Amino acid sequence: MNKKLFYVLVLAALLLSACGQTTAVPTEPPVVATEPPATEVPTEVPTEAGQCLLIGALYGGPITDAGYNQAMHEAVMAIKDNIECVQIIEAENVPDEAGATSTMENMISQGAKMIIATAFNHQYPALELSNKYPDVIFEHAGGWEMGPNFANFFGAPPDGWYLMGVAAGKMTTSNRLGFVAAFPLGWTLTFINAFTRGAKSVNPDVETIVAYTFSWGDRAKEADTTNSLINQDVDVITMHVDSPSTIISTAESRGVYSIGFQSLAAQQFAPEYWISGTGYTLGGKLTWLTSTVLDGTWEPIFLRCGIADGCMAIAPFGPKVPQEVQDLVMQTEADIEAGKIVVFAGPIKDQDGNIKVAEGETLTDDLMGSVDWFVEGVIGSPK
Amino acid sequence: MSLLSILGVLSSAIFSGTSLLYTTLGEVIGQRSGIVNLGLEGVLLVSASSGFAVTVITGNPFLGLLAAALIGGLTNMILGYLVIHRKANQLASGLALMFFGFGLSALIGKPYVGARINGLPRIPLPGTSGLPQLYTSLFSFDILIHLSIPTAILVWWILFRTRWGLGLRAVGENADTAFASGRDPRLIRYQALFLSGLLAGLGAAHLSIAYTMNWTEYMTAGRGFIAVALVIFSRWHPMRAIVGALVFSGAVAFQLLLQSSGVQVSPFLLDTIPYVLTILVLIAWGGNRRQSAPASLGCVYHGTE
Repeated sequence: MNKKLFYVLVLAALLLSACGQTTAVPTEPPVVATEPPATEVPTEVPTEAGQCLLIGALYGGPITDAGYNQAMHEAVMAIKDNIECVQIIEAENVPDEAGATSTMENMISQGAKMIIATAFNHQYPALELSNKYPDVIFEHAGGWEMGPNFANFFGAPPDGWYLMGVAAGKMTTSNRLGFVAAFPLGWTLTFINAFTRGAKSVNPDVETIVAYTFSWGDRAKEADTTNSLINQDVDVITMHVDSPSTIISTAESRGVYSIGFQSLAAQQFAPEYWISGTGYTLGGKLTWLTSTVLDGTWEPIFLRCGIADGCMAIAPFGPKVPQEVQDLVMQTEADIEAGKIVVFAGPIKDQDGNIKVAEGETLTDDLMGSVDWFVEGVIGSPK
Repeated sequence: MSLLSILGVLSSAIFSGTSLLYTTLGEVIGQRSGIVNLGLEGVLLVSASSGFAVTVITGNPFLGLLAAALIGGLTNMILGYLVIHRKANQLASGLALMFFGFGLSALIGKPYVGARINGLPRIPLPGTSGLPQLYTSLFSFDILIHLSIPTAILVWWILFRTRWGLGLRAVGENADTAFASGRDPRLIRYQALFLSGLLAGLGAAHLSIAYTMNWTEYMTAGRGFIAVALVIFSRWHPMRAIVGALVFSGAVAFQLLLQSSGVQVSPFLLDTIPYVLTILVLIAWGGNRRQSAPASLGCVYHGTE
């Protein structure tokens, strides 16, 4: 965005060089800050007696986005509901690393002994601070780094995506599913692959068409992208962006099915054509982590948990989803839990037919984040 | 490529081009009076957030529309005070206004993130009622889309067929001469900026109340700058602005069509198509003396003291 800004500046400066006035126009560009200020919302003033732990939680975006940040916010709030003596300070709209560092420092200076950092960009600032403050416990959502007082927690979305694929594969009549993605990132590609494998497991003719918006928050482009997919005969839309509301309401207005992701709150935008969705419900695990902090048994563990552990949930089905499709999804879920279905068990071929996971092997968690290929049945470019 | 996908590009171009068109029309008026508004991005954001907020509070999208337009006009008055009254540099003032708009819109919109609204009602084109929903929804336009081309014609008429428009263009070419012929350059520039802000507000309202029905921080994603570029693209002419807005948003829709039809070209490259196209048109149309910028665009009017 900054680049764009300075191009315009240069353009305008050229334009203005023709002024015939006596006063010179100062040409020095003003020094400007580039980020809107983060808004910090202390939910409670941590002065009450009987407070057993002060937790600082920070989010990359607004906590009412019906998407990822709302899901994370609700998980953090569940700690307070379950353990009454805990106090929580929250900061939303902290997307960048510099802001994250100062926000966490600020929380620690207020007495926070546990920090829950939920955005991708919070990982390294939190890791650095964990060295500086060895008596503060840091939990990061979705990263991979570990330390003596720094650990990771997250849901395991691929199983849920497989289930949504099963539902989509059953509901489509055109056999074309649409996926609106922000960027071609490793995890996004893994979600698309899991979704497609689920769909193909019940409907071998199905294809997933992927289109990128190249922005986490350009709502108009999300609407354009959704429409573009629908105009290509797609009749089920799903997405991996920050907040799904525009995409889901656009699909609804075109009379096309949608499947949500991130927060279960997305359903309200599609009263009629909603199929289902998956969302993060990490409140239980965060409560448990907090209780181990309180009784001194906290250990740095790399925590990944799925639907069966209550860390991910399937949203209620929409009114147009037949009972047998609902039953099939629930049966598949049971099969995954029982180990009868493994989403990324080989042999798996990519779009060009190359074997990516050999027979008898499974794509492991640590490789899922760096996937740069699409499975057979996906239309779109993975790079 | 099916009929639906080709009609779809046209439909997308119209839907997402509308906010650009209103904003560009407003900026044409502003620049014709000699003021370049680099703060347009901020004006759009403030209008989009306040229009959305009013829609949430009152439940009436038309009130939201009205609020967005008025707030757009008022926000432009800040720029007016700086560059007309205080004789500040237009570029610096514009950028200051933009960053002010970032912060203010975030503050206004904060309580309404994730709120659900009933957007501006959509009226299907006559004669499409028998078609399947997939097709009718392509051409069910809201009132702002229906009024966009009439608005462009109105702006053209005001600028080129009224005395006030003549005065405005005179101020943009040479404010001293305009003053000598009995016009008040300051007043005219304030009026031009207010009208320009009203139109930008309508564009912003289309974005947040009609098309996406959503408020997100920084949701304009550079459209204010694209509008400034489209003014140059359209050579300060309202009718060419229609072409500019359609070509730009059509190019966005076209690259999405290529992506979704599985063309094996890097989507990063496809994403640059709208900008490359804009540059090509600028090259092709460039250097025409008859259609150059208003002569005193960006210049401070010092009056007669």
